[in-house]
Amino acid sequence: MTRIGFSTGALALGNFEKALALLRGKNTSAIELSALRTPELPKLIAALPSLDLKEFSYVAVHAPSFFTPEQEGTVVRQLMEVPKEYPIILHPDAVHDFAKWSDLQAQLLLENMDRRKADGRSARELQGWFNRFPEARLCLDLAHAQHVDPTMTEASQIISTLGSRICQVHISELDSNSHHHPMSYSALRAFAEVAYSIVKDAAFIIESNLVESPDPSVQIDDELEKVRNLLSRTEWDCAPAWTDQSPACVH
Amino acid sequence: MVLRPGSVQTVFPELETLSPVIQLERDLGADWRSLKTAAEETQTVLFELDQLVSGKASADSSVVVTGSLGRKEYTKGSDLDWILLVDGAGDARDQQTFLEIDRAIDAAERFKKPGREGTFGKLAFSQPMIHHIGGEEDSNSNTTRRILLLLEAVSIGESRAFERVRKGILLRYLQEDRGLFQRDHSNRIRWVPLFLLNDLARYWRTMTVDFAYKQFDRGNKGYALRSVKLGISRKLMFASGLLACFWCDPEISGIPAPQPRVQNLIASLNEFLSWTPLERLALFFSKHLADAREGDFLRQTALALFGAYDGFIEMLNTPEVRDHLEKLPPEQVHTDPIFKNARAIRSQFRQAVHDMFLDNRSPLYTLTIDKGVF
Repeated sequence: MTRIGFSTGALALGNFEKALALLRGKNTSAIELSALRTPELPKLIAALPSLDLKEFSYVAVHAPSFFTPEQEGTVVRQLMEVPKEYPIILHPDAVHDFAKWSDLQAQLLLENMDRRKADGRSARELQGWFNRFPEARLCLDLAHAQHVDPTMTEASQIISTLGSRICQVHISELDSNSHHHPMSYSALRAFAEVAYSIVKDAAFIIESNLVESPDPSVQIDDELEKVRNLLSRTEWDCAPAWTDQSPACVH
Repeated sequence: MVLRPGSVQTVFPELETLSPVIQLERDLGADWRSLKTAAEETQTVLFELDQLVSGKASADSSVVVTGSLGRKEYTKGSDLDWILLVDGAGDARDQQTFLEIDRAIDAAERFKKPGREGTFGKLAFSQPMIHHIGGEEDSNSNTTRRILLLLEAVSIGESRAFERVRKGILLRYLQEDRGLFQRDHSNRIRWVPLFLLNDLARYWRTMTVDFAYKQFDRGNKGYALRSVKLGISRKLMFASGLLACFWCDPEISGIPAPQPRVQNLIASLNEFLSWTPLERLALFFSKHLADAREGDFLRQTALALFGAYDGFIEMLNTPEVRDHLEKLPPEQVHTDPIFKNARAIRSQFRQAVHDMFLDNRSPLYTLTIDKGVF
């Protein structure tokens, strides 16, 4: 069964303890501990040994999305403290000096970027990054892929060319200003066109922003249910509604 | 560096190694120097435009040129047909960006203004192009922009919006095509996108009707030149669109059949459409010259087609000939030697296109009869 969970940053900005508390008893099996801003990282690293994460069979850490060249060495040293079994999600455009990351690369999950970024958005651009980090794996962000190409053609190409590298999936809805939101019918419909082809052992991490939700508990349940429904769909379920015979591809 | 077709990057370096037209010219031992001259001039113009508009479009907008620039056939009398294509959240500042680009182009005092219909030289939005296909809202301008965006367009500089919109349009055509990927009466998978094909055919007929409308509207002014363009460059555009639809069939493209999914077809169509119309035809001939049983027939057809087109471009790139045709009264066309020559070129082109699609020795024959007529 696919492991599903949340990013702590989607539930409580810069406060992973609060996010973990919100998830207690929610029957989630995956968690991404977010340190998107550099000041959050040392606190998270320090807390890691004492965090109660036993209900999660998949734990990942999200590295800061921005740091200066001067900060890069410190960020890498701090990330070296992350247990080896926890993948580290990294935005490729954040990197200044590839050499600094070489010892971490087997632990890295490079994430595909949204359309505001100049690199790391498409299968072709990501391949360039994997040439630099051949041992790294991929965190496929479905919302970013949809943002780059709403037809999901780029997502499909990422999955077909880099599918074996996918370790984790980010899922949420992104608006045209690149803000993450709870998933709508429209977003789920687009994701359904490719989700069935993602490797089954990839963990799904929800990034729908519920920080300002008046009732986060209910919305956590809603978002989890949406992803479970999405993952229960087969390729056949995702065929256009008018299809009245099995898709030709199964023959 | 891998250069992709359809963006301004493509036409800058290594033109000769990139263009399928040049490759076909070599394979056939032909000499299409007017095509080469026009392609080189296109490079120069696109470079100048790139300098003029650099940094003005955003991740949500693209400067898109169509017409002769989009076909890499810029000649001395060419218009500059361009739009600022916006694909993003509503922002009133887009109009200011458009005006800034318009001023920069004007200030260069180099480019001829777009035609009087007002389809180009405008701010244009992705939503109607994607959502209004057919129906009351699909105006002549909307159809024109949409089809040209697919068939003969190049983005200058920032291309993200352009690429998204083109794929978005393709998604509309493919998702609503009920029989796509289903087995047809002969138990073959249908790869040819008929909704798209029908809209391309509709646009071709619209151009022919608008040709008559413009005679009516403009009192036959410019008849001779428009008549030649309709029969050659406009026809080429339709032929290349029809070919794009047939190219979806792995038997025509020679590319191993992908999983029959909409996203796979969008990817391959988008790639093929990123070539210019003439390049698409060249890819078809190059593919089938070598392995077709009818290699000689295709060789002769390609020589006739590209030779005629080369002659057409030479005419357009000769100012006195172009000017003469532009001003020639319709009542003189039957006796005018320059128009007679133009008509001979048009006839050769028409016959070659006819042979390419409708001669039973062509690999396209069956699909043309089966899907392209009724």
